Amino acid sequence: MTNLLEVKDLTMRFGGLTAVDHLSFTVKHGEIHGLIGPNGAGKTTTFNMISGFYKPSGGQVLLRGEDISGLKMHEVARRGVVRTFQHSTLFAELTVMENALVGTHMPFRPNIFAAIVGWDKEDRRGAQARAMEALEFFGIDHLKHERAGDLSHGHQRALGLAVAYASHPDVMLLDEPFTGMNPEETRRMMDLMEKLSHEGITILIVEHDMQAIMGLCDTITCMSFGKFLAEGGPDEIRNHPDVIEAYLGGSRNVA
Amino acid sequence: MLKYLLWPIALVALLLLPHGLSFSQQEILVFLTINVLLVSTYRLLTLTGEWSLGHVVIMGVGAYASALYTKEFGLFVPVSMLLGGITAALIAILLSFPLFRMKGFYFLIGSFAAGEIIRLLWKRFREPFGGPKGIKGIDPMPDFSIGIYDFDFFEPISYYYFAGTIVILCLWVLWRIEKSPVGLTFHAVHWQDKLAEASGVNLRAYRTLAFAIASGFAGIGGALMAHYVGTINPNSFDVEVMVFVLTWAIVGGTGTFYGPILGCVLLTVLNEIVLREMGFEQLRPLIYGAILIASILFLPNGLESIVQRLTRKEAKS
Amino acid sequence: MIELLAQTCLNAVYAASYISLVAVGLVLIFGVMGVINFAHGELFMAGAYAVVTFYADLHLPFLVAVALGLVFVGCLGLLMERALFRPLRDNPLGGLVASIGFLMILQALAVLGYGVRMEHIPPVTQEVIVFSDKVRLPLSRLFVIIAAVVLLGALWYFLKRTKFGWALRASAQDPEAAELQGISINQTARIAMFIGAGLAGIAGALTAPLVSVNPHMGHSVIVTAFIVIIVGGVGSLEGAVLASVVYAVVHTFVTTFYDGVIADIVGLSLMLLVLIVKPTGLFGSADRA
Repeated sequence: MTNLLEVKDLTMRFGGLTAVDHLSFTVKHGEIHGLIGPNGAGKTTTFNMISGFYKPSGGQVLLRGEDISGLKMHEVARRGVVRTFQHSTLFAELTVMENALVGTHMPFRPNIFAAIVGWDKEDRRGAQARAMEALEFFGIDHLKHERAGDLSHGHQRALGLAVAYASHPDVMLLDEPFTGMNPEETRRMMDLMEKLSHEGITILIVEHDMQAIMGLCDTITCMSFGKFLAEGGPDEIRNHPDVIEAYLGGSRNVA
Repeated sequence: MLKYLLWPIALVALLLLPHGLSFSQQEILVFLTINVLLVSTYRLLTLTGEWSLGHVVIMGVGAYASALYTKEFGLFVPVSMLLGGITAALIAILLSFPLFRMKGFYFLIGSFAAGEIIRLLWKRFREPFGGPKGIKGIDPMPDFSIGIYDFDFFEPISYYYFAGTIVILCLWVLWRIEKSPVGLTFHAVHWQDKLAEASGVNLRAYRTLAFAIASGFAGIGGALMAHYVGTINPNSFDVEVMVFVLTWAIVGGTGTFYGPILGCVLLTVLNEIVLREMGFEQLRPLIYGAILIASILFLPNGLESIVQRLTRKEAKS
Repeated sequence: MIELLAQTCLNAVYAASYISLVAVGLVLIFGVMGVINFAHGELFMAGAYAVVTFYADLHLPFLVAVALGLVFVGCLGLLMERALFRPLRDNPLGGLVASIGFLMILQALAVLGYGVRMEHIPPVTQEVIVFSDKVRLPLSRLFVIIAAVVLLGALWYFLKRTKFGWALRASAQDPEAAELQGISINQTARIAMFIGAGLAGIAGALTAPLVSVNPHMGHSVIVTAFIVIIVGGVGSLEGAVLASVVYAVVHTFVTTFYDGVIADIVGLSLMLLVLIVKPTGLFGSADRA
């Protein structure tokens, strides 16, 4: 497996506070990679820097060797790195199908002149097909005419993934995908991620709750107080004394 | 069946409409036609979520530009109208650089300031804008004949047909844009800009695109106005007119394509037919102000919400 | 040249005094209610018409007319709070649009009541303080300056030293926390609206004999006030006063050495520049948008 995404000395300062401090790790092609740590470890900040939501104070994010740090979110997305959001960030007023269609923005870039004259029929059909494919993939195609805001919590999560998936991403960045889910929903979500991985999509998950991703990830990076703490397979991390220490010291949320 | 008949019937009604009206009512009909275009472009602007207070001034840019092109370079009027629209769109793109660094209320104030600056420039520079008195004697649309109908632009009916054709064409384009993937992207930018950006949408580009298209068509509306009235000045495009546009949009509701048009038509009918006939024309700003407040307080989703409720009931029963 | 500079400075001080009254009122309303009051210029106009009515028409003493203007416009503020801003508390943009509607109504009422012509108000005093041949300060202008200083001082004392002022500042900073402390939001909103509107009204009343009073005078006032509150940092009272001085100096000097329209353009450009470069304003960091 080759290195797809490489984080090098990534640093973020907010005023006097250093939220992420010279963090380095690599995500290999095709793996499911977890980024964990207790509350306030700087996971979400790291995530936001990789996805282009924040501009790092220092260090680099390399995608296939190209420096993408400091690019805007849509520029990062256009290079194949697509993120999801915590909670249920969706176009609540639009239908499920329309949500998925927005996800096809990159493969089927709208052209205003073609749209007015009607020369984009092929593209529109292609986008429809891709959006439908994404909805089917996550098993929510029967809800396509519903308003996204009216969906159940679990369906909204699935739709969030479908919107990202519709764009043919190489890497999907998932921000705490298991938050607020019951065990049944969590299990179904894990199946979906396995399925994504089989499609050849590399996945980076940021998660607070270790338990959920232990069975899922190939590699796990643990950080604490903004710094790199440990890295390895699930078993290694589970038994790593520093990790146990960090979770015990930070909050009582031991795996 | 009814569906296929609807549009031809509407077209015939629009063609026959002016013949039942008095001369002054026909003139109002021309303005109404132009205002429908103006308020529809305003809706396109609001699709990406930003409310501008400079839209009427942008319309004025189209009017001034078209008037000057015919005056200074002797351009054929329809060509200069098109160029007027393009000029308005270009000015909008220029303004987008400072304005789209702001959002929400700051954008509102910023667009207001930008509009005021443009108006002051017209006022200050006698060459070429004519200063506070503006431009007079703007070339009218030259008369022509299409065989079955002779366009005599001294008659408001002729100008109504001419402007109506252009406005319908523009509305059709606006409608096509809104129903296209581009329109969907505008909605996406409005409702959840971060998610749109994560889907690869260049927010800045799409906001600018909506602003430029809206401004371009508003500019054409301004040009239609200028060549009909024959005289424009900085006060033709002041805040009061902007408040009228705002009122039409809010009273009608900006959630649907027809909402603002509905607001514009109903309020114009109320104003021009009812108030004028009753001799209350002086009260126009007062009544518009009251209607604006009432609709914000009691009908936040506009008249379109009533229409939707009615049609939904009908569909159910 | 020195004399021209001195005279321009005096003019700037006069302009700064009434502009800051208007702007501080606008900022106070925004701070407590979270709404930009577009009708603020028309409240200024209402104050001026109060003087037209009570002083020019009914021949009451000028100071009585000014006081009546303050109370009248303050009550207009209370009306706006109750009828518009309170029902629209969760919708700041709606509040702004409603205030535009109110602006139209006030303007139309002025046209109906007084006509569009300019009002003539007999001067309160013709006295002029003569510093030298070309440097003069009419007593009526000095009076406006003194009144502004006294009013702003009183406001400062009220906000920093009294219980009401404390409640007002608390709910401007964090309305929810303030409510938990037992501060009534409606109460503070009423006080802020009365004072904010009243300040605009008294500024209009004080300057009425010195400017051209007409139903559309509010427009340039609100444009100026917007520039000042943006430059000073939305939500900052001190910033508003400082920005008033900066704006008045720039505007007066450009008017004297170029012309008034260029001065307006410079002022608006200054505001756009601040919006682009530092939206929190030159002097403020408080920001509740």
